[in-house]
Amino acid sequence: MKSLILITALTCAVFAGSFNKAGVAPVTNELYKKECGSCHFAYQPGLLPSKSWDKMMLNLSDHFGSDASLEKEDYDSILGYLRKNSAEKFMNYKRSARIVNSLRAAETPESISKTPYIIKKHKKIRADLITQQEVKGIFNCTACHTTAQKGIYSERDILIPNFGKWED
Amino acid sequence: MKLIFTLLLLISISYASVVDEYLVTLGAQAKVENPNFKGFDAKRGEIIFTSKHIGKKGKEVSCVSCHGDDLSKASKNFFTAKEIEPLSPKANPNRFSEVKTIEKWIRRNFNDVYNREGTTLEKGDVVTYIINK
Repeated sequence: MKSLILITALTCAVFAGSFNKAGVAPVTNELYKKECGSCHFAYQPGLLPSKSWDKMMLNLSDHFGSDASLEKEDYDSILGYLRKNSAEKFMNYKRSARIVNSLRAAETPESISKTPYIIKKHKKIRADLITQQEVKGIFNCTACHTTAQKGIYSERDILIPNFGKWED
Repeated sequence: MKLIFTLLLLISISYASVVDEYLVTLGAQAKVENPNFKGFDAKRGEIIFTSKHIGKKGKEVSCVSCHGDDLSKASKNFFTAKEIEPLSPKANPNRFSEVKTIEKWIRRNFNDVYNREGTTLEKGDVVTYIINK
């Protein structure tokens, strides 16, 4: 029995690479949830490298076309949280590791949906399912990933509006 | 008589809500900017809230696009589909309960809908409209 467990653990380790946790680390910061989660899903910081968060935070008054400017104290606090919890700091989580490993060295994606890994994972989905009213775009994780709030993006938890379960 | 009046005034001030105090401050500022200022007006505020403009994203939107027609009900962000809690403080006591938050959203949302910040008069008018709707 002991050896079976050991073999299972070893096999998992080999196939899993360096990560040992599923998904991405959940959001833990209340200010971040409040300030960034008012207009869109509060994306886990582990979905982007810190260089991307830094770039995004430089221009909050034109944040994907909306004014998301913050007071200085809130800005500093949120930037600190993002830097401390960005993808490359949490390579033990599967999705963070996959996102970081997909990046080219000189590349600083301006959004999660522009990272090579996320582009690849959503490539096969029909365009009209992504643009439909209930979803609006790849940015809207929770529209289809029913467990996104918990940082879990596994295939069995996907439910696409007006389509149903997704099997790759 | 004067004493009663003063007492009543003091009581009303001490019971005044955050948003009432905010409007008093804005009103004083409006008076400085324009000595003919006679007070904020919900009717003008309604026009500010419901009229459509080419916003920051280059699309024609109004405040209603995200907050909906019925301010006592939850609505959806026009661009992200994220649920927005009711804007009316009568339906949602969290609304207009903190000056910092009021100012943040007025600044952001004027930029989003009007592509510029609101004037003192516009801010007072639209807040008066929302809290009385």
